[in-house]
Amino acid sequence: MTDAILFWFLAFVTVGAGLSVVLMSNPIYSALSLAMTMVGVSALFVTLGAFFLAGVQLIVYAGAVMVLFVMVIMLFDLKHEIQAFTRGKITGAVKIASVGILAGLVVGAITLSTKAIELSQKTQADADTGKTYADNTMALAQNLFLQNVFGFEALGVLLLVIAVGTVALSRSRGGTHARD
Amino acid sequence: MPLGGIIFITLFIGVFGVILIYLARWTGGRAKRTSEAKMEIYECGIPEQEKKDTKISVKFYLTAILFILFDIEIIFMYPWAVGFKEFIHSGAGPFVFGSMAIFLAIFIFGLWWEIKSKALEWD
Amino acid sequence: MMDMGSTPFEITINVVKTVLVFLMMVQLVPILVWVERRGSAFIQNRFGPNRIGPLGLMQLLADAVKFLTKEDFVPDKGNKYLFYAAPIFALIPASIAYMAIPMSTPLLIGDSKFLIQGFEVNVGIVFILGVSSLAAYTILMAGWGSGSKFALMGAMRASAQIISYELALGLSIVGVIMTYGTFNLSEMIAQQQGFLTFNGFGSTLTMPLPNWGIFFQPLGALIFFAAAFAESNRLPFDLAEGEAELVAGFHTEYGGFKMLMFFIGEYGHMMIASGLFATFFLGGYNIPWTTVQGVHDWLASFGFSADLTNVLNTVLHFLMYNVKFLILLWIFIHVRWTLPRFRYDQLMDLGWKTMLPWALANTILTSIVIFAAAQFAF
Repeated sequence: MTDAILFWFLAFVTVGAGLSVVLMSNPIYSALSLAMTMVGVSALFVTLGAFFLAGVQLIVYAGAVMVLFVMVIMLFDLKHEIQAFTRGKITGAVKIASVGILAGLVVGAITLSTKAIELSQKTQADADTGKTYADNTMALAQNLFLQNVFGFEALGVLLLVIAVGTVALSRSRGGTHARD
Repeated sequence: MPLGGIIFITLFIGVFGVILIYLARWTGGRAKRTSEAKMEIYECGIPEQEKKDTKISVKFYLTAILFILFDIEIIFMYPWAVGFKEFIHSGAGPFVFGSMAIFLAIFIFGLWWEIKSKALEWD
Repeated sequence: MMDMGSTPFEITINVVKTVLVFLMMVQLVPILVWVERRGSAFIQNRFGPNRIGPLGLMQLLADAVKFLTKEDFVPDKGNKYLFYAAPIFALIPASIAYMAIPMSTPLLIGDSKFLIQGFEVNVGIVFILGVSSLAAYTILMAGWGSGSKFALMGAMRASAQIISYELALGLSIVGVIMTYGTFNLSEMIAQQQGFLTFNGFGSTLTMPLPNWGIFFQPLGALIFFAAAFAESNRLPFDLAEGEAELVAGFHTEYGGFKMLMFFIGEYGHMMIASGLFATFFLGGYNIPWTTVQGVHDWLASFGFSADLTNVLNTVLHFLMYNVKFLILLWIFIHVRWTLPRFRYDQLMDLGWKTMLPWALANTILTSIVIFAAAQFAF
């Protein structure tokens, strides 16, 4: 019973924050709402028993990626962007397209939900048999470092490529921040 | 995890903060507009300069994005570190040690390249 | 309420406990401010506040009265909502993260078990790191909401500094996690009881020292401690508020109670750093050279009743935790009044080019030693 209340509360907060990302006209509020959505998703992970994943969600998404978003938005003065977000033909077209995509997503979610219910019943059965966080994190580690080790190494290379690309972009000629 | 307790204390602290601010506003009153200069932002004796006149170095953006990359790599070491002793006891020690050694080699190469390419210089 | 207890009585106790820990933190801040002022005066050979009350202790009350009578000011160019929200959000990450740190051995009365901490979190370290990384938003919100260029530049510097040192902090903890093999803070403390014991290479070595993590992770402890200063924006890393350049950094436009709430957040991060350092490296609430069970048996030998023995045991360990905690807080204050401030490029160089590589070296060294100690025997 209390679990259900908790879930509905968190779902309400998360979806509400997600809606305010698209409905707010000021980009800074949108970014902060997105950060709130990340925190809500992290709390939802906790209700599913994925404690380590919840922590990772907090550290990486709420604590790192969204901080970058907020910092970049603060780098610029966004008076014109506020108008561009709310007016204009292109914006109207984008809005209509978004509504279409949203409708498609809703239909997809409904068809998928039957599968999700089966899956959640299975997870609940796992939880009832007394699996603790230690097994949980250990299972993650085994999956990552024994079974999918190639993906793990590939991810390291991918992150390296991103770092190189970022540095190259930030030093390229032209634009407002050209050096040398 | 005591999620209910965490949510409760978050709301409690929020209410506590709002009450504190309203208390201070009630006892001290809102700032009276005795002059236009009083409501300006802080500046040392010259006309106020807004944040939109402020140019901020692109270095901050670079630092933030490099932070994300290294942060993700460090997060991947956490489940490895917590299970390392168990892996050794279960006989998978050399394999897991080797896989992390390759990952760390890529990490170190990335860091060395960042330092060498002067991406981390602040002038 | 998940895991907050099964009976209404336990739930009530646990909820009251979280509020109590929060109020304890808030109460400690004025005392720390007083220690900071008197301590700086002691270090710099001055008097410090000494007019109001004995030793200037009533200065805190006088400050509170002054805060209450200040006008509530929002600059015209600022964003009103963010300006008010920032100090409220400053309280939340620091307090919640501190509540996950165990302050004493659990209290057993009859069939009930009460933890001496806000709440127990399985993945303690990851939770604390995640929650305290949200503190960057407070600073950015304050800097943006003020509408002032000093505040914005201070916020940019402070957040860039916090995220840079978060890397060194996070990496120095990897060695700690490897040593203890758990994320849970209570289990880490349980492993630091008794005499210093090294297991490895097929033999066991015992030394007449307490079994503290600092002897297993000396380099990690040093990096963690230095990064903790930067994380809590204290001197020698308080570039965000370099007075000569940026007035007061991101809280330039703030005054009165709103300013005080930023102070509570800043001191809260200091408390988290001290509590975590004590937990990781100094045995947490353990009394050196003994075990929790040993102290319990020693108390029982006086012939107290079972409940009283448990209460005394918890109180003794709580006092031990606070001794370590307060000594570390004093070191934070002492360093602030001893060292000069870094230049900004030096600060970033130290974080990225010195502390990050050394933390990496610590991780590699720890993993090699653990691997070798378990794999080979002489």
